[in-house]
Amino acid sequence: MNSESRIDPKIIEEVLKFSKNVIDAPKLVSAPDEISLEVTPHDTVHELDKTRLLRYRSLTEKQHKTPLLISYALINRYHILDIQPEKSWVRNLLLQGFDVYMLDWGTPTSMDKYLDFDDYVNGYLDSAVEHIKNESSTEKISLQGYCTGGTIATAYAALHPKSVKNYVATAPVIDGWRDTTVISNLAKHMDVDKMVDTIGNMPPEFMYYCFSVLKPFEQGIEKYVKFFKNIDNKKFVDNFLRVEKWLGDTPPIPGELFKQWIKDIYQDNLLIQNKMYVGGEHIDLKKIDMPTFTQIAVGDHLVSPECSMPLHYAIGSEDKTLRMYPTGHVGMIASSLSQKKVLPELGKWLAERS
Amino acid sequence: MHLMASKPQALTSTGPMRAFAANSKKVTTELIEINEDLMGFNQYLTEYYKQLAGSWEVAQKKVNLKAPEVPQDVEQIEAFKRIWIDIFDNDFTELFDSKKFGENYGKLVSKELELTKHWNNITNVVLQSVNLPSKEEIDEVYKELHSLKKRVGKLELQLKKKELAKK
Repeated sequence: MNSESRIDPKIIEEVLKFSKNVIDAPKLVSAPDEISLEVTPHDTVHELDKTRLLRYRSLTEKQHKTPLLISYALINRYHILDIQPEKSWVRNLLLQGFDVYMLDWGTPTSMDKYLDFDDYVNGYLDSAVEHIKNESSTEKISLQGYCTGGTIATAYAALHPKSVKNYVATAPVIDGWRDTTVISNLAKHMDVDKMVDTIGNMPPEFMYYCFSVLKPFEQGIEKYVKFFKNIDNKKFVDNFLRVEKWLGDTPPIPGELFKQWIKDIYQDNLLIQNKMYVGGEHIDLKKIDMPTFTQIAVGDHLVSPECSMPLHYAIGSEDKTLRMYPTGHVGMIASSLSQKKVLPELGKWLAERS
Repeated sequence: MHLMASKPQALTSTGPMRAFAANSKKVTTELIEINEDLMGFNQYLTEYYKQLAGSWEVAQKKVNLKAPEVPQDVEQIEAFKRIWIDIFDNDFTELFDSKKFGENYGKLVSKELELTKHWNNITNVVLQSVNLPSKEEIDEVYKELHSLKKRVGKLELQLKKKELAKK
């Protein structure tokens, strides 16, 4: 009987190749500083405090009349919506003839710790909408809110329905009690008053911790194994580094805003119950009576479908559409699926109403 | 001569040491409380790692049951890795999603914040000893600034509306 254990030579070959890739990586990979996340040309058309309103340069001769403003999330930055030309949400909409604006929330500092929902909804977002209305000589605009930007945009659409012609809610954070994600579990057990009183703004490091508990082995191990295996694939590496750079760059969240968001959405769940107040004004979701398109990702592990979906049923609009896609939170906005399925459907819906 | 001789502390009244010495009791109290909170923090931290280790153990047993054989070739290694990652991700997500994890994590962060508070209080004593504003005083300025900005913004908006109405 042969007691010698035999190792498949292919295994040794794989191990050696992987080791070589790890050693070669620094020579083949750009440093994060060398990667620019600004893809589609744009201009800063309006600024208020640290926020900037970006207008992307048109890629078509003819444009739809109603401009579209994107209210991006409070976590990470807007770059994911324009991460690379082939997967760019913004570029796709420009090519479909939309006039696209993006609100960059900027980087809050310690002195911004008292900025709250009111400042974001009735201050920054409203100021951006007013600017666009003046610039494009329109009475109303189309508004898209993504993730936590969706919470802000929802509050805005309810408080300022006269300014919003169409509302697009993309994986919005709405019903905190129904949210089944790890994030909501952490949020529900957080002493947010003590947190904000003690440290002020929510530091990026805390956000990174929250992300690290989402699929920790897939994201913490497998992702990097794949990266080193594909180190010779320039396109793969470029895309990987862009997303990594985006993931590693999240601004702090103003303390008061964070406090109200955690309490009103995750702990007391006021928004969906029509009990939330912003700047002393009551948020009644029934007042969202404009055409509304809600986009949900079935595999979303940051904002679960159960958290976003109730918006569709709570609003007062008669012209409302709900679409679910077999992808994740980021996959819905920056993937080949978003280019082939999500954006064409959104574009068609918006074009009919713009 | 009488003043110079009878009140030597007046000599140091503008230097940092007098203010610091006056508040040194506060520093000592904070240090004692830090030690108490550190004990609580360590208790929750131990529970945190205990929960992680417990989930790891259970997940590894599941992997051993599902893939008992040592992988022999590249395909088998790949399949084993997939099983390992799926089981570990599922089990750890279940842990992170549980009430016991959420509660302990909340308490752990809360204790960490208590430690930060004590540290802030000690820093305030040092800041005050050199006549610099404390964290609370700076916060007051930020709050006032925020409130003023808001008022100015609203006034500007009203002015704009009035101008538009005139047109």
